[in-house]
Amino acid sequence: MDTLSDYTYTMESCNSCGQCRFLLGPKMKGWEYVEICPIYSRYKFEAYSGQGLINIAQELIEGNLQYEEALIEHIYTCTTCGACDINCKSVRDMEVLDTILSLRARCVEDGQGPMPAHKEYANHVESSQNIYGKPHDQRFSWLSEDVNITEGAEVAYFAGCTTSYMFPEIALNTAKILNAGGIEFTVLHVEEHCCGATLWRTGQRKAAQKQAEYNLKAIRKYGIKTVITSCAECFGTFRGFYPRIQELDFEVLHISQVIQKMLQEGKVKLNRELNMKVTYHDPCLLGRLAELYVPWKGQIKAFGYHDPPKQWRRGTNGIYEAPREVLNAIPGIELLEMTRNEENGFCCGGGGGVPAAFPDFTLWTAKERLGEARSTGAEAVISCCPWCESSFNRAIDSDPRALRYYDLTELVVRAL
Amino acid sequence: MALPKNIYQELEDIVGTENISDRQHILAAYRHPDPSNGRKPPSPEAVIMPGSTEEVQKIVRVCNQYNIKYNAVTSLFVPLGITNQPGKLLISMRRMNRILEINEEDRYAVIEAAVRQVQLKPEVFKRGLTYPTASAGPSCSVLANFIFSGDHHTQQSSSRCSRYLLGYEWVTPTGEVIKVGSLASDCGWFCADGPGPSLRGLIRGFSGWSGGLGIVTKIAIGLDAWKGPRVLPTEGHSPNYKIPFPQDCHKVFIFKFPTLDNVRDAMIEMGKAEIGFAVLKFFYATEAVLYTVSANDFWELWNSGLYQKELQQALWVYLAAWTPEELEYEERIMWDIINEMGGEPVDETIRKKYEENMDFFILVSFLQRVLKLGGGWSPTKLGADSIYHMFEVAKSIPEFFSDFIEKGLVLNAPHNWQIIPMEYGHSAHIELLFFFDHGVPEWPKIPMEVVQKSMETDIRHGYHAATPPPVKALMEMLGPLYSNFQIWRNKIKEAFDPNIVSNPIP
Repeated sequence: MDTLSDYTYTMESCNSCGQCRFLLGPKMKGWEYVEICPIYSRYKFEAYSGQGLINIAQELIEGNLQYEEALIEHIYTCTTCGACDINCKSVRDMEVLDTILSLRARCVEDGQGPMPAHKEYANHVESSQNIYGKPHDQRFSWLSEDVNITEGAEVAYFAGCTTSYMFPEIALNTAKILNAGGIEFTVLHVEEHCCGATLWRTGQRKAAQKQAEYNLKAIRKYGIKTVITSCAECFGTFRGFYPRIQELDFEVLHISQVIQKMLQEGKVKLNRELNMKVTYHDPCLLGRLAELYVPWKGQIKAFGYHDPPKQWRRGTNGIYEAPREVLNAIPGIELLEMTRNEENGFCCGGGGGVPAAFPDFTLWTAKERLGEARSTGAEAVISCCPWCESSFNRAIDSDPRALRYYDLTELVVRAL
Repeated sequence: MALPKNIYQELEDIVGTENISDRQHILAAYRHPDPSNGRKPPSPEAVIMPGSTEEVQKIVRVCNQYNIKYNAVTSLFVPLGITNQPGKLLISMRRMNRILEINEEDRYAVIEAAVRQVQLKPEVFKRGLTYPTASAGPSCSVLANFIFSGDHHTQQSSSRCSRYLLGYEWVTPTGEVIKVGSLASDCGWFCADGPGPSLRGLIRGFSGWSGGLGIVTKIAIGLDAWKGPRVLPTEGHSPNYKIPFPQDCHKVFIFKFPTLDNVRDAMIEMGKAEIGFAVLKFFYATEAVLYTVSANDFWELWNSGLYQKELQQALWVYLAAWTPEELEYEERIMWDIINEMGGEPVDETIRKKYEENMDFFILVSFLQRVLKLGGGWSPTKLGADSIYHMFEVAKSIPEFFSDFIEKGLVLNAPHNWQIIPMEYGHSAHIELLFFFDHGVPEWPKIPMEVVQKSMETDIRHGYHAATPPPVKALMEMLGPLYSNFQIWRNKIKEAFDPNIVSNPIP
């Protein structure tokens, strides 16, 4: 697996140009909503940004900075949303997010990280196969009798911890949609374990690797050719982390892509009118971080030439169109766009283990995002990730002016 | 050595706990070794973020009281934005980022120090206006480029940024707030000068002070009419954006010529005819870096030899018009000039990229791609004189630059220089941009050596091509070329900054 020292080129060639902090020029719309990094927006010092974190990484590995509690907190405040990474890679060949994730892994290796709440996640996964410490045998409590599961199907729905335990209605709606579209699918039953997303993104790589290996084995055992998720974190972990362990021999789809295909093929029709002005929030791991990770080993030669050529993840092929196409297919829905959308979407604050360690910062970030959503004139925010839902629900609970939130699957089921 | 506790406390009392820090991991972001010059800047002792002019004034007064040297910054993109000696307080203007006014009738905008290009540009576009936008990317400070030279691709039809500075508010090195131009007489921001001698040149001049004469907190800048779309018609996703402009009123041409003199004469004639939103002889290697996504893509293009063949003696022309008829008129004049000078269109694939993506002329997007070859890059010259003079300077570049190429110290791109006329030809800017690789053991010396040799060549010929960098020895070296400006500069510095606290230069 990659390590911090793999990213010395990134650290050494950063010119502090600021691209990691601001909206990309082609997407500019006005004075407001130009900062794309939640920590930079909230804490304002440049050290709270992609640039700052890679500067810190460099000083740490060169021995010019010593661990202290405030430094560890600083490193773990980042939501690992990857906005810095994609913006940097709009102009350069650097790996900002992988440097940040490797920095966290380094903190864990050195016995300095993660935050206590993250260790608790790992403990829960170890004992109960989910990050919440809930009984493993309740993982599929969401399954109801009116859901058709086809044992032996080559398609598996992977619900994930947060959906299964915190937002079971998303799982149920996903299953109903798959049934409605005539897609035969199964589940991994007791062999579905935590995907490892939070462990990976908090630097607990060994624990995350264990989860990945377990799930990959189960997927192969069931003969699965396609894994469908309704959680952006699971989706992004399958595509962004698992290939660091083993090459994937199955495809991973998000439910929004599946619905898009069903609509295109006429397998479902969304007939019921839902009169609503909505805006769509791009989850980080479904949008800019959705591209498949392709391991690269080679040399960086003179003037940045990568030999062999590297397959970059620049956010170009994120899942941006599918959820929008689905929303636009629902009669009565008017989709309004936020300034920071698609690859420049502003994080909900729910990533990178931040909700567990810094819940106030997650709340601040979600409120910021809802403010932007409200500025579009929308009545509701739609997204495709239970982590986003969790962040937004907290913000909505604390602000009576806030909008409503719906998972995409809920609107689709209502419109069926 | 950290700031003494009592001083830190006084500063904290001004801005609040959240807006000052002396923690080492916070300061790490301001002392990163610069891949463009190899220098590891000394760490500032603390960083502070004022939220108003009053706070700036108080901070500056504390610095004077305790003899703390300070340096105001907004973005950190150029070395001028970081500390140049130990013991300094870094004043980040980041929180002062409001657009205070956009006056459509009198065509000016009033902004605070940390308003970024990506914030102001769309706001003025919406109103059918624009302003000279320095070629420094979306996150750079608008203000910083108006109190510095601020050169850009479209100054044929406008000028360098500094010529558009109107009224401004300035906290002097000792902490006095001065309002300049029409603002001083409570007449608003519209004019740079009052009835007496102008103070505009005091803080701006040709190359500014690099923070050496206090802190400019608010400025007004002149706005021009914008013939392009009010909202960018952006298509696609990063990094493959397309920004096409309506073809009936916007056209880009690139012509190659038999000689450099032909390029020069075509440029002069277009100025006389007052055509072209942008006319420039651009860097050919930089163009290849800008219009490719990865370093590998660049090498594929560069190794094809197409740019070397087509763009060594080329002129970029962007015609923008209100109507198709106006465009047709300008195009006819342009073709007359091009034909007279023996110009011909370059390979269509090069021009076509501009049709799809006008980023190059909007100037708030992909300019940071210039850093893509590992971050080892540096500009030199950066001065201005007549178009004729600038081309003479360009012809002298091989005298010192060939040696660096032959020794393999810089990218083999001897013609990677640009000349951009200003104000339809009143003067022109020249810049030589060179790339170097960090794998070369002596790379940290390369940028300064190129600059030094470049200056020596200018001095030998009596050319006005170098903007004196904020380094005393170099100013002394170049002084005789420019009426010994440094003597006046030093006297002004002594008069306004008796404690020598405002970003003193090495």
